[in-house]
Amino acid sequence: MRRTRVFSMLALLCGLSLLVTACGGGSNVGDNGEIRIGAQFSSPAERKILEEQIKEFENENPDIKVSIQAITDDYLKEMQTLIGAKREPDVFYLEGMPAPDMIKLGVLEPLNDYLEKSGVDPADFEDALIEAYTEDEQVYGLPKDYNTLALFYNKKMFKEAGLEPPTTWDELREAAKKLSKDGRKGLAINPELARYQPFVYQNGGAVLDEDGNATLDRKENGEAVQFFADLFLKDKSAGVPNDMGVEWAGDAFAEEKAAMVYEGGWMIPFIKEKAPDLDYGIVELPAKEKGAENGNLAFTVAYVMSKNSRNKDASFKLIEFLTSDKGQQYVVDSGLALPSRKVMGEKFVEQYPEREPFVKGAAYAQPFQYGDYGNKFADEASKAAESVVLGKEKSVANALKKAQQNLEK
Amino acid sequence: MATTTSPPKQQRQRSPKAGRGQKWTRDPMMGYLFTLPVIVSLSVFLIGPIIYAFYLSFQQFTFLNPDLSQFVGLDNYTRLLTDERFHTALKNTSFYSLGVVPVQVSLALLLALIVNSKIRGKTFFRVAYFLPTVTSTVAVSVMFLFLFKRDGLVNAFLSLLGVEGRSWMLDVDFALPSIMLMAVWTTVGQFMVIYLAGLQDIPADLYEAAEVDGAGPLRQFWHITLPLLKPTTFFIVVMSVIGTFQVFDQMYVISKGAGGPLDSTLTVVLYLYNVAFQDFEMGYASAIAFFLFAVILILTLIQRNFFGEETRM
Repeated sequence: MRRTRVFSMLALLCGLSLLVTACGGGSNVGDNGEIRIGAQFSSPAERKILEEQIKEFENENPDIKVSIQAITDDYLKEMQTLIGAKREPDVFYLEGMPAPDMIKLGVLEPLNDYLEKSGVDPADFEDALIEAYTEDEQVYGLPKDYNTLALFYNKKMFKEAGLEPPTTWDELREAAKKLSKDGRKGLAINPELARYQPFVYQNGGAVLDEDGNATLDRKENGEAVQFFADLFLKDKSAGVPNDMGVEWAGDAFAEEKAAMVYEGGWMIPFIKEKAPDLDYGIVELPAKEKGAENGNLAFTVAYVMSKNSRNKDASFKLIEFLTSDKGQQYVVDSGLALPSRKVMGEKFVEQYPEREPFVKGAAYAQPFQYGDYGNKFADEASKAAESVVLGKEKSVANALKKAQQNLEK
Repeated sequence: MATTTSPPKQQRQRSPKAGRGQKWTRDPMMGYLFTLPVIVSLSVFLIGPIIYAFYLSFQQFTFLNPDLSQFVGLDNYTRLLTDERFHTALKNTSFYSLGVVPVQVSLALLLALIVNSKIRGKTFFRVAYFLPTVTSTVAVSVMFLFLFKRDGLVNAFLSLLGVEGRSWMLDVDFALPSIMLMAVWTTVGQFMVIYLAGLQDIPADLYEAAEVDGAGPLRQFWHITLPLLKPTTFFIVVMSVIGTFQVFDQMYVISKGAGGPLDSTLTVVLYLYNVAFQDFEMGYASAIAFFLFAVILILTLIQRNFFGEETRM
């Protein structure tokens, strides 16, 4: 008697646990007529843009309801767990860096058929951006907007030192040296790939070859990183933001602890809020020499569609609207980032002439993306520069060689 | 040491109270019913996932697209042998553990002795030492980031002594030790309380007898306190070793998840986390988890052996 009761108890237990796990298994991506868009906002202003865009979209498409699923934490990590649980939003933001991985894993809906049906031409977008989301001529995402780097400089400090904004490496070096005084640095910049890579391009180097293999140990790369590291080590005119007691370079600039930073359009709303009276200017990144070819990076985010979406047509309609001229006008008006459509780029410059350096930079920018390597590549390449700047590795060539070897493994 | 005297503690715990409500306890069904919520939640949220993770450790698995997974045998485990970053992580974790455990345990004992003695305001000290334990590690980490900043309090204090400061958390040689300091400070209170309980469990008549026999305080400590605290020490050392090998949150907050500068604060669990949630490699991450489990199990068995049979808990 007793044994059977214990047994039935255990059976009940197993049943219960199965029930609990089974409940979690169902997929509920998008009910009919309602789609979700997964987004991350760097500021309330950014959220407001999306809300306004969606309001307009819902006016035009009364049969579709859109809700925003804002992700405040580590976006990519949270999105991955959502995808793993098949609970991801129908449409979501995706940065360029993890895009190749996501495409390879087959979690994104290919968009070519939709593009054809609706007559949207991918060629209308900035080339570098659409390329970041294309694999085997299949497009997987339409770029939302993008940013490039530019040199932000403190006008007051430049005036006091009698300097003009630098346009070449030599001028940059001179300016940084002269501006470093009274505990202030000429340049606040992180020794990471996303900041030193423009120097690499400007020096004619490259971190990947045409087949997407790492080529970190090229001679040109070493020269560029050496110049970069010399600013820290020899001249002591550049500082790592954390080492200056601030969170990031933007803080150092806003608090006037640095005269120059290499940053993107995200700086503008930030300064407006944190240091509204700061008198600053924006110029293109200094090239190596007068007339030499410049280099830059394009950081982009695209709208992609989940393969599990139950409402794909409505989802594409939303993507189409958000990236249309009309949808992008909101981006232009906000000035937070650069619109991804070529035509809209011109409008942006008309509206914000002082932000032209960003648009100009796009012409010679490469996407911030490293094929299948993704984060691992950025990690290794950043660590190479970091080890030199922190004084752990004396030879730039060795640091880059080591990173290259780690990637080849 | 005194292996023949088993602590009187165990006898005292068997108090003859169990007679009440015998009718209820006789029926095992009631027992199962009452424990059902815990058993269900444990099997769903703990035992189930553990078994699944063990299965995953033999797979190349990405949870973004489980259809692409494949069985790889022991590949994930052999990869551990050649993965340099993993070795760095293991080295950092061992260093951390070797540094933190002895300091933590001896400091906890010292503090317990102090707050157990007849000093004034000992309640205040008990609270003061215990307080960091109940504070969230994230909050403490952020606080330490501020203290150890280039223009933080620690450097301001050092400059009074004429020592030039540095950005502690950004320095390859000092980031990990700084975190170790913080770890000792935050967890010592918890172990102090356990030691305190152990101290108060030691019958006072033993000390009285020793005093009559002419033993001084130091002798009493060596021959009564320490041997009778052995089971407590065993418990604390084991918990401390497990805790230090699983360290994650402080490093995560201070290095913003990356284990920097230059992997100097990369611990095994932090690496595992990055492998799983950044590189999409759940199978390899599971293998790391089971390797860590094996390390902790072996260390615990060694300690058990070292502390002797009587420390069975």
